[in-house]
Amino acid sequence: MTTSQELLRAEVARRIATARPELAARFDLLTADGLLAAQREITRAAQDAKVQAVCVLRDFDLPTWVRATCAFAARVDASAAVGWRRDFTRTVFLAGNPDNLRDRFVFGHVADDGSAAWQGPAPAEESTTLRRLLKLFDGSAELPTRLSTVVRVLADRDPRGRAPVRRELHVATAGVTIADCLVHLNHLLVEAVLDEVVGPGDELVVRQAPWLPASAGLFAARRIDGTPDHPDRLRAYAALTGEIHDA
Amino acid sequence: MTSATGTGGSTAGPAPARDQARLPRGAARRRVLLAPITVTPSKPLTPSHLKGLLWTDVMYRATARLAEVTYRYSPTTYHPTEQTLGFWEYLDRTAGETDYSGLTEEAIGELYVGYRAAGQRAGLAALRPYAEAVELHGWVHPASARVLELWTAHYARLGMHDPGLLAHQPPGLRLEEAIDRLGAVGMCLDQRAYGGPVFLDATRYGLPLRQIVDARGRPNYLACALRELIPLAPRFDETVLLYDRELEPDYLLLERTLSEFGATIRRVTLGRVPIDGQIRSARHGDWHDHTTGALLSRAAAEYDEPVLRLGMRLYFIAGLGQGQQQSFRHEALRQSLARAARLLSGTRTTDPAPLPEVLSRHRGDHLYVNPYRLTSGLLARHRPAPSDDLLSAVYL
Repeated sequence: MTTSQELLRAEVARRIATARPELAARFDLLTADGLLAAQREITRAAQDAKVQAVCVLRDFDLPTWVRATCAFAARVDASAAVGWRRDFTRTVFLAGNPDNLRDRFVFGHVADDGSAAWQGPAPAEESTTLRRLLKLFDGSAELPTRLSTVVRVLADRDPRGRAPVRRELHVATAGVTIADCLVHLNHLLVEAVLDEVVGPGDELVVRQAPWLPASAGLFAARRIDGTPDHPDRLRAYAALTGEIHDA
Repeated sequence: MTSATGTGGSTAGPAPARDQARLPRGAARRRVLLAPITVTPSKPLTPSHLKGLLWTDVMYRATARLAEVTYRYSPTTYHPTEQTLGFWEYLDRTAGETDYSGLTEEAIGELYVGYRAAGQRAGLAALRPYAEAVELHGWVHPASARVLELWTAHYARLGMHDPGLLAHQPPGLRLEEAIDRLGAVGMCLDQRAYGGPVFLDATRYGLPLRQIVDARGRPNYLACALRELIPLAPRFDETVLLYDRELEPDYLLLERTLSEFGATIRRVTLGRVPIDGQIRSARHGDWHDHTTGALLSRAAAEYDEPVLRLGMRLYFIAGLGQGQQQSFRHEALRQSLARAARLLSGTRTTDPAPLPEVLSRHRGDHLYVNPYRLTSGLLARHRPAPSDDLLSAVYL
């Protein structure tokens, strides 16, 4: 019988194999030890990631940030996306006020309310000045639970004949800080936009609960990571469901 | 000299009428704020501290003959920093009920060295009663009250103006008010709601973010300075900030921030005084025979009070200069004292120029009088000796 840990591991292995086929060849990603070893290798390599995005945050409001993250990801061109995927869509979160930075720095996207702005993805050295001026975003507070909300994303983009869909965006809250949530949701959302799982005019129903529902069949994409105390014990932190239809 | 007055610091009134008649046009009654960095009352005053205090004192007394000067030096403002509250909490936790009234600065300084060496940071809850007592009714821990009392005696002996060491001088704004005022001009990044700190944000000017309140709500000295100076500095024609060279980045930020509120800022950077070629923080406790008390006792054994006052100023201002190239040397201080004795013996002709004119020569394009230029001018051999007016107004 396949356990839920094995299912989670298979999903993580798939993500690694897509981004870095050579790692899939070096490690047996379907065993707990092999996956852990590959993830250690990825963490080590992330210290000198070649390509990364930078997200400058003045304020964090989950629906606003979800909308802006998708808008940013949709502006990433295909060639930049290739290198970024190889570095696992690495993104650095910095504390800063975009309004105060616009005269000195060019941003690829700025949230409508000015609460966040993005640079890159680009070679890390291109954001050195910005990173020196700002500090890492310290989101160590617990992620607050909110009532579920509907976020319409990429409303201003050309749908190119694709009909908008509605999905649920599940976000785990138990033991999750705001900083954790940013990391997990960022990977999930930008990869979903790059993969066109999320497209122009889609509606995301944001649902927060302590843990995500377990059934894998429901999900179009999941963000899975180890737990802080047990890196080899996998958990789903965020997920996008398949299309849903209102009754 | 007037005594300390409430929140505004101590103010010297305008120069006497006969002096004002000779002031350069437009210079009369201009208002100047002197705001030096304060010394935490937890240890003896070292040569570095004494240098800063004597520079400020000469600047204050000289400028006060030309403009209306407020000397703002409020220990009250800086008590809420963790450095101070943590020391007080440590003392009560480790020594309990202790009578500090008979202790020397050195003995209290040793306790402070013990606190720093212990390296523990007290929790927020442990510091709260101390922070509240400071904010609500100006409470000062008896150990620091004792240090401030001893410093007051040093000030008196050195003829330094006491800007209110023992007075309750709360800052004009509460912490939240200061944060709101900064936010209103787009210079505050408050991320406490997300578990982060509060930053002073001058990134618009290319200056890096600087934390002023940590994620747990504890303010640092810069937050304290902002509470005091945001409401105060814009009320003056010129605000002079005197500080240690190591704090230059913070003071550049402070200048930028206060300018945003309409203040005109002048920064005066002072190098510390190395001991045997090394600049060391007082927290290590190796002050030995260099404390202000020790220097005063040694000098007083040989010289009377006027010589001591002038000689100390000659050495710490003209002798050591603004930088930090020269180490402290007892012998060099003795030479300055001897020099002071000769100056005061009055064998040379004195400068006939009126005092405001003499002082105005040392102002450059600002309102304050430059202590180094004024003091080194006393030593120039080809110039007439300083007048009694100048000596009594500024140096004795």
